[in-house]
Amino acid sequence: MNPPPPPPVEPPALKWHERINVFTVTLLAFLLAVLASLPALRGSGRQLDYWANIRRFLGYFFPPDFSVWQETLRALGETFQIAVMATLFATLLSFPLAALGARTIAPRWLVLPARLLMNGARTIPSLVWALIGVAIVGANPLAGVIGLTFYSLGYLGKFFSDAFESVDAEVARGLRAIGADRVQAFQHGLWPHAKPLVISHVLWMLEYNLRAASIIGYVGAGGLGMQLASYYEYYAWEKVATVLLFILALVTLLDLLGEWVRGRITKKLGGGRLGGR
Amino acid sequence: MMVAAADKTVSTCHVAIRGLGLRRGDHWLFRGLNLVVPRGKFVAVVGPSGVGKSSFLGCLAGLVTPTEGDIEYCCLQLGRHTPANFQGHTGVVFQHNLLVPNSTVLDNVLCGRLGRYPWWRTLFGFPRADRVAAYRIIADLGLAPLTHRWVCETSGGEQQRAAFARALLQEPELYLADEPVSNLDVYLTGRVLGILRQESLAHGRTVFCVLHNPELVERFADLVLSFDPGDPAGWKVREVQR
Repeated sequence: MNPPPPPPVEPPALKWHERINVFTVTLLAFLLAVLASLPALRGSGRQLDYWANIRRFLGYFFPPDFSVWQETLRALGETFQIAVMATLFATLLSFPLAALGARTIAPRWLVLPARLLMNGARTIPSLVWALIGVAIVGANPLAGVIGLTFYSLGYLGKFFSDAFESVDAEVARGLRAIGADRVQAFQHGLWPHAKPLVISHVLWMLEYNLRAASIIGYVGAGGLGMQLASYYEYYAWEKVATVLLFILALVTLLDLLGEWVRGRITKKLGGGRLGGR
Repeated sequence: MMVAAADKTVSTCHVAIRGLGLRRGDHWLFRGLNLVVPRGKFVAVVGPSGVGKSSFLGCLAGLVTPTEGDIEYCCLQLGRHTPANFQGHTGVVFQHNLLVPNSTVLDNVLCGRLGRYPWWRTLFGFPRADRVAAYRIIADLGLAPLTHRWVCETSGGEQQRAAFARALLQEPELYLADEPVSNLDVYLTGRVLGILRQESLAHGRTVFCVLHNPELVERFADLVLSFDPGDPAGWKVREVQR
C-alpha cells in the first residue's frame, strides 16, 4: 500500500457553483418573492389615523359581556364535537391517501393524482366546504363535520405523505432485504419513525379545526359560528369578545396538551441520539 | 444480476460468485471477482476502509446491483426462487444496525421473522412462539433487562447486539454481517463471533463477515477474502490454516 500523500496546507476553496445548494436557492427565491410582494404594503393611500382606528375598534370589545356564558359554553361544546369528529374522519381517510401520495411508498404514476386531489381539497376554503356540507345534509353540525373533514383531508394528507417521505426509509429498505413485504416494511420500518410526526400533525389539525369550526357556523354548519354571526350582525362586540375568550381558552388548552405530548416524544428520541440514557 | 437457483442434488456449494464487478462513479471497487463458497463456511471479508466491503455484502444481499457478473445461491429447498423470495433466507447485520429507534428491543428483534409470514399475520403482533424465541436470544446476548426499552435509550453496543439478535432469530441460510462487533468489548466480540461460528459449524449456515482485527480473522474464519485498495482486480482468497 502506498503511503498517503501529505495533507495540503489549507482546505481547498469551493468554486461558486459548488456553493449552490437547495438552501441558497430557496433563500434567493424567497428574497425575490419578498421584493415582488412589496406592493402589498401600499395600503389604500388615504390619510387615515391608524392608531385611533385601532383604539376605537378594540374599545368596542371591552369589557366583555359574560352574561352569555351559558349559551357560549353550549355552542363551544358543539364546536368541539364537530372538530373532534372531523379530525377523526380526516385522519382515517388521509392515511391511504397519504400513502398513495408518498414517493417512497406508492408508484410514481399514483403519486401525482393523489397529490392533485389533496391540493384540490386544500384549495377550497373551509367555509365553502361547509356550504357544500349544508347543501348535502342541511344546516346542522353534521354539515360542519362533513365540511371540515374534506378540508382537513387536504392538509393531513399532505402532512402525512411529507412525513412518510421525510423519515429515514433506510430501516424499511433494510427490512425488505431480510424478507419483509411492502406492508410489513411500512408497518415495522417506516411507521414507527413517522408516528411522532403524525401525532403532532393530528393535534395541530384538531386545534385548527376547533378554530375553523367556530367560523363555519356562519353558513349554518353548527357550533359557535352561528352565535358569532348573530353578534356581528348587531355589533355586539362585547359579546363577541366573550366568545373569542372561550375559544382562546380551549385552543390554549389544546396547544398545551400538544406541546406536552410532543415534548415527551422528542425528549425520549433526542436523549437516545446522543447515545445517553 | 442476482440469480437464486435451485439445485436438484443438494450440493455443498452454497454461493457461487462469477465475474462480479462494481463501479462507483469512474472507478471500480472490485472486478472479476470469482468465488465459490461451500455450505457452512465462515468467510471473513477484510480490507481497509472504503475498499468496497460493504458494497460487496450489499451485492450479496440484493441491495446493490453489481455492474457486472452474477451471484448464484443454491437453496436446500427445491424449485426456483426469485431473488426477492430468497431475501427471507439472508440474515443481514447492517453496519449502522438499521433498528427502529422508537420501538422496543423486542419488537426490533422480532422483525427478523417478518419474512416468514404474510403481512396480515403480523399486523397485530407476532405468534407467542416467536416472542419466546426472541426473548431467549435477547437474554442469551445479555439484553434481557432492556427487552421492553426503546432502542434509542440503549447504548451503541447494545444496539449492535440487538441487530445481531434480529439476524439470529431469522435463522437464515446465509449470514451477511457488516462489522458486527465494531462496538463490542473483547468478551462480547468473542461471544458474537462464537455464535456465528457455531451457526456455520452446527447448522451449515454460511457466514460472510466484515472484520478488521486480523487476530479475530485467524480465530474464527475458514476463508479470507481480502480487497486491495490500489487494484480492483487484486482481491485475494485464502484458506485459514488450523
